[in-house]
Amino acid sequence: MTQETVSEKPPLDRDSLRDVIDLSLWAGQMLLQHGADTDRVEHTVHLIGTSLGAEWLDILVSPNALVVTTISGDEFRTKVRRVVTLGVNLAVVCAINDLSYRISWGEVDRAAARVELVSISNLLHNYNRWVVILMVGLACAALSRLFGGDWAVFLVTLVASGSAMFVRQEMVRRHFNPFIIVVVTAFVAGAVASSASIFRLSPQPQIALAAAVLLLVPGVHLINSFQDMIRGHMVTGLVRGFTGAVISMCIALGLLLAMQLLNVGGL
Amino acid sequence: MNLLVILQDLLWSGIAAIGFAVLFNVPPKTLIPCFICGASGHAFRTILMELGMSITVGTLAGASMVGLLGAYFARRYETPSLVFAICGAIPMVPGAFAFRAMLGVIRISQATPAAGEPILMEAAINFINTGLILAAIALGIAMPTLLFRRRKPVV
Repeated sequence: MTQETVSEKPPLDRDSLRDVIDLSLWAGQMLLQHGADTDRVEHTVHLIGTSLGAEWLDILVSPNALVVTTISGDEFRTKVRRVVTLGVNLAVVCAINDLSYRISWGEVDRAAARVELVSISNLLHNYNRWVVILMVGLACAALSRLFGGDWAVFLVTLVASGSAMFVRQEMVRRHFNPFIIVVVTAFVAGAVASSASIFRLSPQPQIALAAAVLLLVPGVHLINSFQDMIRGHMVTGLVRGFTGAVISMCIALGLLLAMQLLNVGGL
Repeated sequence: MNLLVILQDLLWSGIAAIGFAVLFNVPPKTLIPCFICGASGHAFRTILMELGMSITVGTLAGASMVGLLGAYFARRYETPSLVFAICGAIPMVPGAFAFRAMLGVIRISQATPAAGEPILMEAAINFINTGLILAAIALGIAMPTLLFRRRKPVV
């Protein structure tokens, strides 16, 4: 990018430029951590940086790091930040999106942006954990109805995915490896859902098995993977797709383990 | 096809959409639009499949509907369209296909070359379906941006 044109923006000194890069990188990091696609990360970081006074930003989104260079006048600074993908939290994505627009309208300056980013990073969950368990259980049970299950399958799926969600929350709190969490959660879901088959509660007990593990399906990873690839971000797209495939493999592993231990066939 | 089937489809896919919306911690004001996106997208797909379309084409149409509704709700609720698009598309995500493909891959390891062919084929069919349906979802929910918000890349 050549900077031939004369910019209207006053050149920033090194300290302000550091502030700008710090804030925009922080916003980008939180977006990438909580399930935004690559295009959104790039646009938001660019918008925040240029609105806070930098002339230009170049951004490299890699699957587990962000590299940003800010340019202002004759100065430029570059910073790398490692990003560890956490669970999906769309409230954070919404809050940062909102903040980026308010920054671009000039309503928020650098100091206020820092305060807001601190409060976004401490954002609490909107829903009580028991509400999450109930809703996730209901969601999987609803999907079992869509697969053609009867009411017995519905109830078994509700209990199975609800208890699996409980186990998942407990394991996430204890910082287990994410893939191990998926295997164990799928095992729990499969073991509870096997009761439909063991006690002959329904003519199609395998639907409960298939539906109970759907809470683990890496929907956001897989959707984002293809979203990234459509927009030309091949590297992040491939990595997200592969992560999704590995998670699916872990689901199958946990489920297979439960089915073989309890000697339940079908699927 | 009768109305009751469509109504049930609407109800269950909507519940699935808001269940996952809660899991993804969306702002509470967006739950109702998430329900509408999920329900209408999936029901549209079901109707098209009843009319004889393949699941991939049906998903493309359903996801486009989710994308367009999401773009409308994004403006109305001042929330990024990604919230509605992701929650609305979740009921259509080929979860069962994806882990059946993986289950097949695990089973191949136990098969003999002679008896393994149907298992391999089944895994491949599930795998290809997963990929096609996901591509259809991504293309569908990106449809409004791809069609109406074309711009020179800034970065």
